[in-house]
Amino acid sequence: MGREVSESCIDNLLMEMVSTYCNRFYANKPELAARRIEAIGYQVGHQLSERYTMERPRFTDHLEAIKFICKDFWSELFKKQIDNLKTNHRGTFVLQDNHFRWLTRMSIDQSPENGASGEPSIIADDKAVESMHLYFPCGIIRGALSNLGIPCAVSADISNLPACSFVVRIKA
Amino acid sequence: MQFFGGSEISPSPPVPTATGNNAHMMYIFNRNGVCLLYREWNRPLHTLNPQQDHKLMFGLLFSLKSLTAKMDPTNAEKGNLGIPQLPGQGCSFHSFRTNTYKLSFMETPSGIKFILITNPRTGDLRETLKYIYNLYVEYVAKNALYTPGTLIKCELFNTALDQYVRSIA
Repeated sequence: MGREVSESCIDNLLMEMVSTYCNRFYANKPELAARRIEAIGYQVGHQLSERYTMERPRFTDHLEAIKFICKDFWSELFKKQIDNLKTNHRGTFVLQDNHFRWLTRMSIDQSPENGASGEPSIIADDKAVESMHLYFPCGIIRGALSNLGIPCAVSADISNLPACSFVVRIKA
Repeated sequence: MQFFGGSEISPSPPVPTATGNNAHMMYIFNRNGVCLLYREWNRPLHTLNPQQDHKLMFGLLFSLKSLTAKMDPTNAEKGNLGIPQLPGQGCSFHSFRTNTYKLSFMETPSGIKFILITNPRTGDLRETLKYIYNLYVEYVAKNALYTPGTLIKCELFNTALDQYVRSIA
C-alpha cells in the first residue's frame, strides 16, 4: 500500500541520525543521546503498529501480541521473522534475530596487523557505536507494544554480530 | 641468434597456486590519492617501501589515464578529464599486461580506483572489478563504523574480498 522508499536511503538516514545525536547534539552525554534515539524509535513503533494491525482483531494476551511482533511486524519491517523466541512465562521475552538487517554491514578489523586498531579502547568505542545503533529498534518494539496496550522495557544484546537479541520485560 | 620471444629466456609467469589464488595483490585509492586498501596474496618480490609503492602506483595510473584520453583518435570532443564518468564511458584504459602479470583498473564516478594484479593469462576483469565495487559499497560505504577517506578496516569486506578473489579463474 502506498509509496516506497529505497533501502539505502533508510540505512543512510539511520546511520546519520545515530552519528548526529552521538557526535553533535549530545557529544559527551551518550545517555541522553541514547534516550533521544530510543524516543524516536518509540514514536515510529507506535505509528507502525497502528498501521499494521488495521484489519486485525484485538490480541487476547501478551503472548499473542509478542508473536505478532515476531512474525507479521518483523516481516513488514525487515522482510523476515524473528528466528527464536524465548520466554520465562513471567513477563520476560527474548527475541533473537540471527541476521539483523541493520547490523549486517557493520564490522571492524580486530586483527593487530593494522597498527593501532588492535587497541582495546578503539574496539570498545566501536562496540559503543554498535550499541547506539540498537536503541532505535528497541524503541520501535517498545512503541509497538505500548500501542497494543502492553507497557514494557526493551534492551538489546549483541554478543555476536550479526545476530542480536532483544529482551522485552513487561511491566506488571 | 635469438634475442626475443624464446620462452627459455624470459621468465615464465607464475603458476596459479594450489589454493586457486590467482591474484597477486589489490589496491584501492580514493580521489585524493589516499590508499584505502592494499591487500597482498602472493607477492614474492618487494622493490619499494609501502609509501613509495602506493605513490608510484597512483601516479602511474593518473598519467596513464590522461595519456590514453589525450591520445584517443576517435573522440572529436575536447578531453574530459576530471569529470565523473561511469566505467566504460568516455575513454579510459582498463588493463595492461606484461609477461609476468596483468594489471586491471577501474575507476568509479566517485573517484574510487580499483587495481587488481593477477597472472597474465587472466581474461577481462571488468566485471570482476564491478563486483568488487559492489562489495565495497555494501560493506564499506554502508558501514556505520567506517569514516570515508581513511584506511579500510572492515572485517566483512576483507573476508568477502578474499573469498571472491579466490574464485577468479
